[in-house]
Amino acid sequence: MLLEVRDLHVEFRTRDGVARAVNGVSYGVDEGETLAVLGESGSGKSVTAQAIMGILDVPPGRITGGEVVFQGRDLLKLKEDERRKVRGAEMSMIFQDALSSLNPVLSVGDQLGEMFTVHRGMSRKDARAKAVELMDRVRIPAARERVKQYPHQFSGGMRQRVMIAMALALEPALIIADEPTTALDVTVQAQVMELLAELRREYRMGLILITHDLGVVADVADRIAVMYAGRIVESAPVHDIYKAPAHPYTRGLLDSVPRLDLKGRELYAIKGLPPNLTHIPPGCAFHPRCPLARDVCRTDEPPLHEVADTRGSACHFWRECLNG
Amino acid sequence: MAEPIIEVSDLVKHYPLTRGVLFRKQVGAVRAVDGVDFHLGRGETLGIVGESGCGKSTVAKMLVNLERPTAGSIRYKGEDITRLSGRALKAVRRNIQMVFQDPYTSLNPRMTVGDIIGEPYDIHPEVAPKGDRRRRVQDLLDVVGLDPEYINRYPHQFSGGQRQRIGIARGLALRPEVIVADEPVSALDVSVQAQVINLMDRLQREFELSCVFIAHDLSIVRHISDRVGVMYLGRIVETGTDTEIYEHPTHPYTQALLSAVPVPDPEAREHRERIILSGDVPSPTNIPSGCRFRTRCWKARERCAREVPALAVPAWFRTGGGPAAHDSACHFAADGSIGRSAPGQVVPLEGHGGGPG
Repeated sequence: MLLEVRDLHVEFRTRDGVARAVNGVSYGVDEGETLAVLGESGSGKSVTAQAIMGILDVPPGRITGGEVVFQGRDLLKLKEDERRKVRGAEMSMIFQDALSSLNPVLSVGDQLGEMFTVHRGMSRKDARAKAVELMDRVRIPAARERVKQYPHQFSGGMRQRVMIAMALALEPALIIADEPTTALDVTVQAQVMELLAELRREYRMGLILITHDLGVVADVADRIAVMYAGRIVESAPVHDIYKAPAHPYTRGLLDSVPRLDLKGRELYAIKGLPPNLTHIPPGCAFHPRCPLARDVCRTDEPPLHEVADTRGSACHFWRECLNG
Repeated sequence: MAEPIIEVSDLVKHYPLTRGVLFRKQVGAVRAVDGVDFHLGRGETLGIVGESGCGKSTVAKMLVNLERPTAGSIRYKGEDITRLSGRALKAVRRNIQMVFQDPYTSLNPRMTVGDIIGEPYDIHPEVAPKGDRRRRVQDLLDVVGLDPEYINRYPHQFSGGQRQRIGIARGLALRPEVIVADEPVSALDVSVQAQVINLMDRLQREFELSCVFIAHDLSIVRHISDRVGVMYLGRIVETGTDTEIYEHPTHPYTQALLSAVPVPDPEAREHRERIILSGDVPSPTNIPSGCRFRTRCWKARERCAREVPALAVPAWFRTGGGPAAHDSACHFAADGSIGRSAPGQVVPLEGHGGGPG
């Protein structure tokens, strides 16, 4: 396993009390594998990623337990200067909003080149040449001229390519992409996802794709982990989950998206709202919204039951759910 | 076809670009909307899809008279509303209401829900007498699925989905005939989107509303619309019933757009045909000659740079009829049924990196 997250817990101190953003998340990614982490806002999917990368805001955030084992080392036990050597070089991240993640007063070439001057000790001239090469690789046209330009001179799709180039620069073993195409139009989204998939194959990188879009997941993922209220509620190979979800939340999500190929039915709507993280319901966090909920769900937190060999569901009644 | 309640013809909105402080002179224009025609039938839902910058929101603003068009007309029951002012304009506005995209910024944080939903009655007091308003607001809350007891709460006490319900209730307050909804669900979480879409679907039937539903999400637009118009760079490039557009698109842009939508079905990913467009949308200050899509189109030929294709049923489909015979602004329109491979049809398998332009 390239990366293994074990029983990770993260809290945030807020004015309204302690928000338990991540409550015992475990997942793993193999070399060359794409894991999609699916969830709505507030499900803890991005916080988990920030904890893995070591870019969590501390305070107010705090990692209260768990391990992040990457290439055999627990990253949470490393000192900050050792951690910095991992970040960018061994694992890197692509953010949702490229415009606010890039520095507006540095040229794109300087920002790309920085990866090489800082991590590899290259001269500025060599770094600039590397930057051009990278921009070519992510298919930014006229790279030689555009390397001198600033982020605002790029379109949304091109900016996201710059982000991808930056993440790829040092050929990391793992890339975490947090909603990489959410801010993009669908035709541009298709371009960017295609590019990402291609580069991932070429470099045999592991990819953690964080998203709320069930369509994007179906297109690129090998495995899926569905998160709800800071926990993984279902984890399965991509084909299984779409064929027969083993958790009522996953089922609800799948039934609630309008699909191009199925028209005319009323959409299934999951009732209620995602919980407030300072007051997560006792028992199964999903029970107030769940059509299958019974007494046991209000009191006992379901463990991640083994549904099949590589499949888990945190539902007391996963058998029922699986059979529709 | 249902009797049209709104007819839009040759609608244009250009925003001038000026240079100079003392001697301001126009150096160009952002051609946000550049000749749009459509009609909305009574009780019908017209979906308008397009990517960012295609002018769909500007069309919405002109429909509710928040922007005045540069040229063209919008007829509401036969009367051109773009030239109205004063009392006549106010009367029309009552009947055409809008639901906005962002439920976080479109509600005044200092007003209670009751005041927000009831404010339209201050402007149009003839709709509801003063003593009756509170009850009306509570009825509206009930209609959109919120507890009528919430009338004295403030917007920050609600979630995004609930706020959008408040926005919808405000839109319905004056019992309008037409609702213009600009991306009403795109700011919401997936599980909440479905709730709001179902609500809008139900209200449209219950109140016999005619709707213009603007969104970038093609699946949602298909779900809710009777007819669909596809916009690109300030113009409608294809329009037809939902089946015509989604199953028999004839304009290359529509075909590319549809093929780019990720389908939540991993089984389909191996045998899906995808058209990956090259390049970006051109700037609306500098629109290509002829067909405005030609710079990204794999079918573009010399003729496309010379002649602007008209939005009409292509001649070669006219005689045969069938679902491919609908308005499409392309010189080389061809039925590109999605997901089906009928013989003799042209669906490129790969993106064409080196497209013209």
